[in-house]
Amino acid sequence: MIEKILAAIFFPGAVFLLAASLFYEWVDRKLYARFQNRVGPHLAGPFGLLQPVADLIKLLSKEDIVPMAADRLLFTLTPILAPALILLACMFLPIAGPSGIISFKGDLIAVIALLSIYTIMIYLAGEGSSNRFASIGAVRAALQLIGYEIPLTLSLLSAAIAAGSLSIGGIVEAQAERGIWLIAGPQIIGFAIFVITSQAEMERIPFDIPEAEQEIVAGWEVEYGGRRLALFRLSKDLELILLSGLGAAIFLGGPIGPVIPGLEPVLYTIYFILKSLVVLAIFTLVRALFARLRIDQMVSFSWKYLMSLAVILVILTEVIV
Amino acid sequence: MSFEISIGPQHPIHVEPLMLRLSVEGELIVDVDVDVSYIHRGIEKALEARPYIQGLYLVERICGICNAAHSLCYCLNVEQLLGKEAPPRAKYLRIVVEELSRIHSHLLWLGHYFHTLGFETLFMYFWRDRERIMDMLELITGNRVTTSYNTIGGVRRDLTPEAEQRLRRTLDYIEERMRYYEKVIDSEPTILARTQGVGILKPSDAVRLGVVGPHLRASGVKHDVRLDDPYSGHDEIPFNVITWDTCDCYARVKVRIREVYESVNMIRYALDHMPSGDYRLKIPPFFKAPPGESLSRVEAPRGELVHYSISDGGDRPYRYKVRTPTLANLLSVVEMLRSRDGYEVYIADVPAILGGIDPCICCSARVMVTDEARRRRTIMTLEDVIKISRERGAKRR
Amino acid sequence: MRVPGRLVAEALRSLFKRRATILYPYRELEKIHLPEGFRGRIEFDRAKCIGCQLCFRVCPAKAIEMIEDEKGKRPIFYIYRCIYCAQCAEVCPTKAISMSKTFENIALRKEDLVVR
Repeated sequence: MIEKILAAIFFPGAVFLLAASLFYEWVDRKLYARFQNRVGPHLAGPFGLLQPVADLIKLLSKEDIVPMAADRLLFTLTPILAPALILLACMFLPIAGPSGIISFKGDLIAVIALLSIYTIMIYLAGEGSSNRFASIGAVRAALQLIGYEIPLTLSLLSAAIAAGSLSIGGIVEAQAERGIWLIAGPQIIGFAIFVITSQAEMERIPFDIPEAEQEIVAGWEVEYGGRRLALFRLSKDLELILLSGLGAAIFLGGPIGPVIPGLEPVLYTIYFILKSLVVLAIFTLVRALFARLRIDQMVSFSWKYLMSLAVILVILTEVIV
Repeated sequence: MSFEISIGPQHPIHVEPLMLRLSVEGELIVDVDVDVSYIHRGIEKALEARPYIQGLYLVERICGICNAAHSLCYCLNVEQLLGKEAPPRAKYLRIVVEELSRIHSHLLWLGHYFHTLGFETLFMYFWRDRERIMDMLELITGNRVTTSYNTIGGVRRDLTPEAEQRLRRTLDYIEERMRYYEKVIDSEPTILARTQGVGILKPSDAVRLGVVGPHLRASGVKHDVRLDDPYSGHDEIPFNVITWDTCDCYARVKVRIREVYESVNMIRYALDHMPSGDYRLKIPPFFKAPPGESLSRVEAPRGELVHYSISDGGDRPYRYKVRTPTLANLLSVVEMLRSRDGYEVYIADVPAILGGIDPCICCSARVMVTDEARRRRTIMTLEDVIKISRERGAKRR
Repeated sequence: MRVPGRLVAEALRSLFKRRATILYPYRELEKIHLPEGFRGRIEFDRAKCIGCQLCFRVCPAKAIEMIEDEKGKRPIFYIYRCIYCAQCAEVCPTKAISMSKTFENIALRKEDLVVR
């Protein structure tokens, strides 16, 4: 029991995840900059590795402002709940072993549910700040959820059908038993859908519609500043880990790989980080290649193409299995 | 239920203060109100208070990006007052710098435009390549942005052979890059989705609203001051006026990309056929212009630029008037932003449409009076201002 | 032809390209190449000056002030007002004024930005 609590707090739990999330943010920013022929963060620490930490500290030390018109309860609660939700979802990730700190039958569904609740949190955060740009951003976030949630769920479910298990640990073990990753085969379509919908979940280009800087300033987060914004940014970094880790676990075999006996937890962690960094690099590449879509185009794109593709994929998987 | 949001006066898409009050229903825009009067700088008045040679440097600062066009227009205007004409070599050198700054302005616009569409990578690439053009401007004129190249009666320095060699290499590079970017833009579905059919301005409306420049040519109207009124030896240099007939934001992107090719070819032609001889007339720094008035027009990167001056025979203009292209184009934004039957404008299209005219607000502000107590705003004409100042002056006496 | 993500080749290539920027304010200062004829901070050769006041009269930014000293009227240049148009260098009959390549004209004290 004590061991489990320690695992949840330190490794591979909260402390490890928070540190890793800042590292993932650095990777994302650095790669994005390199794709654009820029330097990226380079001043704080070696290769700018500490830049996300510096940004976080800077934001934490800033003045805390609550607009008079804002709903105080929502304005305070949502920045706390958002990273907590994502951190909870990250506990399901199989980092140091084939299953996460928390795991039960059907935990994949729990992760998907947490992701949806996170979007609702964003909606509340936007509406609670009583700003016109924030309201538009919040409504866009909710509208976007309608677009991407079902294809995202279907792409993960078809992987679950192919592996014959609804738990993340089960899917990882099924891939280990077969000795072949799920991405090799029809699930590559599922992976593509997963990558695209993850961009929408994380609100990144081409689907950064709810916070579109050039249109509605920062959308739902426009009124947040100081430590509240820091917490939202932290939850975005944690989301990077969550989604790249989920992609690595479900489609790339998770932490499983050749091991030296006795060193399993270390090697598993290394494999997991390497694989999720590959997924992260794909996320970043997608971010660098497109223009932002309009909200109506995004929803019609998801329903027209992503949905039909996802349904076909589920049927295909069902037939093959 | 409609809901009012204001884009500006401070907003991430424009660096300059412009206020757009949008009435929106959901994501659709039903009405717009434009207000440009946040940055009145009194340049026209200041020009009346200084000698012609000092005004030259003030005029350049009307707009940093089209400074070459502004100073060229000013020089043409003053030369016209003096009844003199720049030597042929100066004309060609003026074209070289003018077209270089057009390339730089168009690249800046293209980069910024894709930034407003959320395409950061193209933004970075365009601005990286623009830096080559800036280096060339620095090499030829001595500064990256504020060129201070044109002067009354010619240009201020000659083009060295080494600079010419480097310029030719840069032009080759830019042309190759632009061909690649054009291919990317034409095949990228997200860009096409955001630009095609967005912000349609019919040719008849464009002419009615007095639209100028690439914005007008993107509506399919063949109008270019360089062709209609060749002001600096443009009649000797062959070039095509680029038009595009889809009248939307995509057309504006295409027109500007194609114009970069034209500018590249014009500079090459000018370099190949550069006349020899003096590059400036000997005009003393201080002079008195004969009484009269003069009007000059230049095709600035953003469109037709008009300068008008009256001289009373003194060493400084009696009245100077500048009509900048953005002022002419702003009205069309209102037209393009209003949703009508079968034409829907979303909030997300605002930056795309507003960005499409290449707005440069700092050169457009006119006098406006805001009565804070009565919450009323009135735009004043020149006559009103003169009347008020006379009344106030009389009272003080 | 519509090809989503056509920029991918260019993006991947720039991963291995040298970055286009330089780490300007702190490092790599040697990479800044300014061309001949760059208009930077004014340099003034006091010995050549004949005190004709042309630069003072022509300066559009009123960055030049005339003072009296033992040799007659001599200009002082206030760099913090200068707009780097080089008109004074152009009109100077004895070429006593020239433009150097110094472009970082920032100082904590105003006196550092005065050229005599």
